[in-house]
Amino acid sequence: MLNGSPKLYDELGELARYLETAMRKMADVGAPMVAGSAQLPQATAHLLDLNKMTEAGTMEVMRLTEIIQDNRAMAAKEFASVVSTLEAVDCKTLAARLGKTASELAQDDKHLMDIMTALSFQDLVAQRVKKLVTIVEDVQCKLVELVVVFGLKQESATPETQGKAGEMLKQLEASKSTAIKQDLADELLSEFGFK
Amino acid sequence: MPADPNMKILVVDDMSTMRRIVKNIMKQLGFANVEEAENGQDALDKLRADSFGFVISDWNMPVMTGIELLRAIRADDKLKGIPVLMVTAEAQKENLVEAIQAGVSNYIVKPFSAEILQEKMNKIFK
Repeated sequence: MLNGSPKLYDELGELARYLETAMRKMADVGAPMVAGSAQLPQATAHLLDLNKMTEAGTMEVMRLTEIIQDNRAMAAKEFASVVSTLEAVDCKTLAARLGKTASELAQDDKHLMDIMTALSFQDLVAQRVKKLVTIVEDVQCKLVELVVVFGLKQESATPETQGKAGEMLKQLEASKSTAIKQDLADELLSEFGFK
Repeated sequence: MPADPNMKILVVDDMSTMRRIVKNIMKQLGFANVEEAENGQDALDKLRADSFGFVISDWNMPVMTGIELLRAIRADDKLKGIPVLMVTAEAQKENLVEAIQAGVSNYIVKPFSAEILQEKMNKIFK
């Protein structure tokens, strides 16, 4: 069919060479691409961990703030009661001093409420992290598609160990198992004679 | 008419931290009768099962978003009169317009202060 069409034959040859070069170049980037697509689920998990960690920290600050708020509410009631008792027995100077102290302390109620509202940062951070996770998952899907379409899957690829990203991921993974809680640290310290 | 301190308030947000913050502010403002819902559908179920006087809702939520909840409330004969305050990180003009068209009572952009929440409530219940 190609007899008598040398130009077409040449062009097909050129196209075949071009395709071969392209496939070779794709194969060169295959390993990092496979590694990248394998690293992304871990990276996503770490991002979601951020949400859990900030949520836990925020909840603890809230819990403590609420305890202080409740204690202050009780103290304020007591103050008011003592002030009215003092006024009733004509200790007006003492009552005034106590009243002044109570109103100064009441200013902290606003500060406590400001602490609570400032904690809304966690919600904003979590929303952004969720968006980032969606983006990372999308990139991962596209990378996997490329890997499948171009047949780049290589058995020898060692995803976790490649590049800076791989190193960072290794550190993050390691922190999961190496990060210890204080009670475990104390246990270890006591084993070494610390009291 | 000023807000009744005994009215039942529903705080709708998928983030437990935000629900707790809003609940705490409401308590400090003198409203102790506050319930929570995790998303629009959960809120709608609670609204239909009980009598609420005010809804404070987030915008971005799974299952049913805040704007969908608002539309559902306004489309329900029994619920349509409930004031709905939207608390959201979506500060885009289009979102605000969408919420106004859907019948929002007022709109707060996160992060917000207790004063802003009180100010908006005062405007809603004046």
